[in-house]
Amino acid sequence: MTAVPPDTNEPPPPQRGLTREERGRDVSEAQAEVEAETSKVQQYLKAMSPRYVLSMAEGYPVVIKQFLQFCLIIIYPAWVFAVLVGAAMHLLFYVTVYPVLWLLFWPVRAWQKKNNPEEYEATRQKFAKK
Amino acid sequence: MGLFKPSGAAKVSVTPEVVRPRQTVTATVTADKAIDKVSAATLEWGYTNFYRYRWAGRADSTAVQMNDSWWMLGEVGTDAGSEKDVDDWVGVTKVELPVASGQFTGGSSSFTVPSWAPGSSDMLARWSARLTIERGGRDVDTRGDFTVVIGRDNIEFDDEPPARTGGDGKTDIEIVLPSLVFRAGESINGHLILTPHVDMSDAELSIHWGQRQISHPLVRTPAAGGGGARGDTIKLGKGIPLRNGTPVTVPFAVPLPEDAPPTGTAVHSTLLWFLEATLMYSKWTQGIEQVRRQIAVFNAS
Repeated sequence: MTAVPPDTNEPPPPQRGLTREERGRDVSEAQAEVEAETSKVQQYLKAMSPRYVLSMAEGYPVVIKQFLQFCLIIIYPAWVFAVLVGAAMHLLFYVTVYPVLWLLFWPVRAWQKKNNPEEYEATRQKFAKK
Repeated sequence: MGLFKPSGAAKVSVTPEVVRPRQTVTATVTADKAIDKVSAATLEWGYTNFYRYRWAGRADSTAVQMNDSWWMLGEVGTDAGSEKDVDDWVGVTKVELPVASGQFTGGSSSFTVPSWAPGSSDMLARWSARLTIERGGRDVDTRGDFTVVIGRDNIEFDDEPPARTGGDGKTDIEIVLPSLVFRAGESINGHLILTPHVDMSDAELSIHWGQRQISHPLVRTPAAGGGGARGDTIKLGKGIPLRNGTPVTVPFAVPLPEDAPPTGTAVHSTLLWFLEATLMYSKWTQGIEQVRRQIAVFNAS
């Protein structure tokens, strides 16, 4: 009794998977939304949402995920506080340090605008609000 | 009555035990006594693929990013142990074995190892003929293993451009090899050409072989580091003068281990081999230069 494979030709190689680089970033939907947000205020608000915080436990096996979400709920007030402090620091930087740097680098920008107008415009476009 | 009566056990033996791609193996299934209440008996040819994957959460989640911050440097962190080793069965060909009126007594099947078969090693794949018998009582799941060795002509290898893995290229290191494909146990004889672009301090030079397992699972999340190994560092010289315009040639011999697993690509992982040369400037502020060149290793004699 001999069973012969139906096709004597060589089977095609099975498809291989993708490496981490080929797959791209591995983030939850909630996190992707936060990262795609262009408005800083909206970004901070979305980062404070419980949905975003709970999504950090995504991808874990069952039970561990629920336990992590339980832990995340416990630290949620601290998380909101931390995000608020971060936002305040961000704002503080733009109110205090940023104007000083802006003033300090004025001559550099003026020189660049005069001597390399194309490059200057390109840089302006790069950092312009979309 | 038949409830506790043990049914016969099946054994799968594969001959020859060691084969190359494009050669044929035969599995013989023998049952020490007839196995009853059988609905289907299947023999599947394929391999068990060994790889690493990430089991714990999303790889780029905020929690992981916070773990990577500078003030966590040197701490174990919350992401340690998030990757683990696993193996998965990859079937290539399925064969139905004959079952006569619910009785299975044995059978045999031949299989030609495909040309793209990854070589057997505990870093990549274990080839087997796997027997599964579906039956009224406890199913039978057993396998017979065989080894696929890779010969020189089984290796399809595209020359990858050499990659700089360290340093800023003040001195170019070229790894010159007579061939890019080597046999396990062989000694790789080649030479390094050091071309300094500016006057640098004297160099200390070394070389080693390395292997890297790349994880690319079909379904599971790939691991960032697949694992791998490296050979002993072979010192090639100290106080090598590096002056602009005077290239230096240094010969080397790197022995490969006798049991080196062959280069190969499976469904969930890939095994790569490379040579890595490291140059250390004697003036420590000038740092190092490091260059990696990919090679291929086969293990059939």
